[in-house]
Amino acid sequence: MLHKPDSALVIAGHGSTVNTDSSAPTFDHAEEIVRRGVFGEVHCCFWKEEPSFQQILHAIDRDDIYVVPNFISEGYFTRTVIPRELELEGAITKRSGRVIKYCDPVGNHERMTELLLRRAAEVAPGLNPRETTLFIVGHGTDLNENSAVAAKREVERIAALGQFGQVLNAYMEEEPLISKWHEAAAHPNVIVVPFFISDGLHSYEDIPVLLGIADESPGAASTNAKNIFQRNPYHLRGHTLYYASAIGTEPLFAEVILGQVAAFDAQHAA
Amino acid sequence: MRDLTERLTTWLAEGGERIGQIVIRRVAEGFELRHADDAARDDLVLHTSADAARHLANLDDVGNFRPLKTAPTLARGWRLVLPDAASLRRALDYFYPAMLGCAENFSRGELPAVPLREKLARQTGMYRVTQQITDAQARGMIDRFCAGCLKQRLWEIAGPNPQRVTSAAGELPLICHEACNLLVAEARKVVKNPA
Repeated sequence: MLHKPDSALVIAGHGSTVNTDSSAPTFDHAEEIVRRGVFGEVHCCFWKEEPSFQQILHAIDRDDIYVVPNFISEGYFTRTVIPRELELEGAITKRSGRVIKYCDPVGNHERMTELLLRRAAEVAPGLNPRETTLFIVGHGTDLNENSAVAAKREVERIAALGQFGQVLNAYMEEEPLISKWHEAAAHPNVIVVPFFISDGLHSYEDIPVLLGIADESPGAASTNAKNIFQRNPYHLRGHTLYYASAIGTEPLFAEVILGQVAAFDAQHAA
Repeated sequence: MRDLTERLTTWLAEGGERIGQIVIRRVAEGFELRHADDAARDDLVLHTSADAARHLANLDDVGNFRPLKTAPTLARGWRLVLPDAASLRRALDYFYPAMLGCAENFSRGELPAVPLREKLARQTGMYRVTQQITDAQARGMIDRFCAGCLKQRLWEIAGPNPQRVTSAAGELPLICHEACNLLVAEARKVVKNPA
């Protein structure tokens, strides 16, 4: 059990200048970790919102600081932007009496598999997984992100457990396309889990349109779009389809964040 | 170790009462925060958790998202009562993220100004193009865009801002030591679509 009253935790997310829901899960996870009293301080920071990456170190009192990127995968933000903006020199940066410990992004943690399974079970309770196709949906064509790699890794892990009849990757903008889900699904039941950090345009609107369970552009912020997760199951194209919200909204993400801190300590133990 | 909560307590004891659009006053239950323009109202909706500040700070009076928390668009109609300085600090970090820490480090001489050129020079990816902004374009952009922000800039286009930070009695200044990413995004628009 982690107990770090002399350390600060910083959860670094992307955020958005237009979508209020983008930073919400990061703040939610931070509030959960505050409630648990694990760290002396807990802060969030964002690329597109405030506090920004370049502001956050001024907001922290403690000199022992863990930074956990709330990103699905290693990539441009975790390898270039965050290290640059926080002036990190590697996994451990010592500067002006402070030690900044840069952890792996949440999406890399082994418990992600458990969270995806939990989300699938929640969205479709009582379903026989042997008669179910589970889709893990990523963005695809993120030039600098390895989200497709992370999504493929999770599919392989879930498939290896042998619980589901079929486990497949799909993407919005590259093959295999989520819009062709009905051609790939071999089972009557279909569960679709977006492999994203937060809900937004992609999970509210783009993926539902590609699945065929929503019309074009109700507007991502509209109540109608946000209700997309409440109308399960959908009966279409010969299947019964259950659509989950983004995996990053799962409350257990707080434990994954703490898990990345523990993993850092284990890896860098003196 | 620096202790911002203790510094906040001292500032309040010395008469501190204002940060941005918020007034803080001592009440029997601890501290009360409200919009300065609501000072005389008695019909405000009561909130009692520091986490409520996150939601109060998020939208303006007509429901628009406020990605820039120091925009002069804080919603009115609420009051927030908190039991202690620790929860007050958490709430203020939602209303004005990192501003307590920046003001403290500024007072210690530990908040170096980052000129706009330096900020843009380290941009990569889709924002690298902002390095092409001319001084004239940057001047016009700053005058227009930063007018919608309550922070005082420590920086200028090529160096530190010669204008000194000012604050009224009992007021904690909101300080900008480096251009925000909203301004960098604006610079991209200016370079891509010059008027």
